[in-house]
Amino acid sequence: MSLDKPLILVVDDETHILHVVSLKLQHAGFRVITAGDGEDALGLALKHEPMLVITDFQMPIMNGLELCRQLKLYKQTRETPCIMLTARGHNILDEDYEETNIASMMSKPFSPREVLAQVDALLNLANP
Amino acid sequence: MSLGKWLSFGVGLLIALLVTAIFLYHQRIGWPGEDSIEEVLLTAIALGVVVGLAHWAVLGHLDSDFRCLMTHIKTIGRTELRPWPTVQGSKYSSTIGCRHGILKPIRDAVEVCVESLRRRVIELLTQRRELELQLHASNVQGRHAEAILNSITDAVVVTDAFNEVVMANLAAARLMGFNLDRAAHRSIGRVITDQKLVKLIKDASETGDPSLRRHVEHPINRNGQTRIFDVILASMIQGPGNYGIADLQASKGFSPIRSTGASRRTMQPTGIVTILRDITKEKKIADMKSDFVSKVSHELRTPLSSIKAYMEMLIDGEANDEQIRIDFYNIIRNEANRLARLIDNILNISRIESGVVKVQRDNISLPSLIKEVMDVMQPQARAGQVMLIEDQMPLYFNVWADKDMIYQATLNLVDNAVKYTLPGGRVEVSVDVDGHAKIANVSICDTGVGLPAADLPYIFDKFYRVKTHNKMAKGSGLGLNLAKHLVETIHGGKVGVKSEVGKGSTFTFSLPIADNE
Repeated sequence: MSLDKPLILVVDDETHILHVVSLKLQHAGFRVITAGDGEDALGLALKHEPMLVITDFQMPIMNGLELCRQLKLYKQTRETPCIMLTARGHNILDEDYEETNIASMMSKPFSPREVLAQVDALLNLANP
Repeated sequence: MSLGKWLSFGVGLLIALLVTAIFLYHQRIGWPGEDSIEEVLLTAIALGVVVGLAHWAVLGHLDSDFRCLMTHIKTIGRTELRPWPTVQGSKYSSTIGCRHGILKPIRDAVEVCVESLRRRVIELLTQRRELELQLHASNVQGRHAEAILNSITDAVVVTDAFNEVVMANLAAARLMGFNLDRAAHRSIGRVITDQKLVKLIKDASETGDPSLRRHVEHPINRNGQTRIFDVILASMIQGPGNYGIADLQASKGFSPIRSTGASRRTMQPTGIVTILRDITKEKKIADMKSDFVSKVSHELRTPLSSIKAYMEMLIDGEANDEQIRIDFYNIIRNEANRLARLIDNILNISRIESGVVKVQRDNISLPSLIKEVMDVMQPQARAGQVMLIEDQMPLYFNVWADKDMIYQATLNLVDNAVKYTLPGGRVEVSVDVDGHAKIANVSICDTGVGLPAADLPYIFDKFYRVKTHNKMAKGSGLGLNLAKHLVETIHGGKVGVKSEVGKGSTFTFSLPIADNE
């Protein structure tokens, strides 16, 4: 499995963010699938079982926090770490951390470099 | 000659005879002898007469003097210490001729005493009159204060050191549901049912701190509606010569109602003044403001985020061919423009709301303005395959308005119409004139996605975006708000909307026609 490029799911209702993050990760050697809202993302996650999910907080239909909660409920995605991007400086409560696998929070405007660094760090922890 | 005088004469005679008898007895002059007896008798009688006369002279006068004095004192009593007119050196008409003789000093002493008493009585009468006037004035002041207190819309309740109600105003009675007339001198816990408030008052009273002044936010539920109140609890203080209410802003911690400069140490809290001010509206506005700021930052961060991200990608060489680089440059430019427009919109709306915007009015022709908007929007309409048409316009009328502003409002409405209309749809703009009401109505009618009835009341609010339309088009949620401000706040016109989901929407705005038509 380590020969396969790891799969990352990126979720954001802003197409530019999706575009930038995808491009950065792809250039770094990852495979990327994208979704524009939480509901679509959940479907994709369950189907493709990505190694990592990067999601925005503020999204229509299902927001990022709810998505992460849902991911933890399913066997295939229970252990999948999540990175949360948010422009609103939302505070994640302790119980939210317990109910999800949110490994780190990044605020917008974010730096694609930093996203890549986070992704590397998290995936190296998982597969040293 | 009165009985008194006869009596005194008789007594004198008797005394004389007795004295003579005793004297003769002691001299042992024999009793027999007619000459001696006659001599003795004569002597005795003579003595007796002399003594009697002497007695009469003194006591007789004394008697009349007594009588004078008694009459004098009775007269004083009868005239009740009132000032008497002086009549030729004699004050008392009923006692003219009285000389008082030996008793004159007593009479004078009595007069001095009476005179001082009389002065004292006059003094007391004057003081009483003054006190009556003061009491009257104080009553008037009290009623005045009551009237003022009752005209204050904030609820005011004053309790004493025993937590009994001393004073309350109508607003308090209405707010807390008690009978104003029956509240006085009853324990606060029995007058108001809000136990939390009672506790606040009791706690404040218990501190015994004369400079106490507390602010507490307290919700009150009335008629199913919860309103928030700013409750001020202040100590009422009373010291020798001072009384007032604790005031944080006054230099010594008191705002004295009357002060003789006595030191703070002598002040004692005599009660608590509780004032409740309804701040529900203020809180709501503060919440809205903070909400607005939060939304604005979010809206501004989004395009900024994109700009930063794409710039970084370029710097890191992630755009490895020319086409991708050109795409990135365009995106950055568009996002920068978007940010600029957003900032303009927000500033314009803010300026209009605070009334600092510069308005430049002129006679403008609506039909030609609309034509300008249409020309600008045609490319976008064509790109979205939406037909953009203008209706037959009545010519030759003007509105007195700021051209740029009405242009912006119209542009925003047409832009929205085109954005939310699917390919193949149409947007129709028309103007009609109500000559009677002197109003021009502009209608922008589209066959687009329409608005749900639940969203209609909020559609012109800042940053309001219909959730289901989120995917259809990007918007800041400010276009309609700005249009509304431009038309209504600046020009006194009216905006309106009618819509049906799936069928389309018609946005309208009206402006008053210029008078010289």
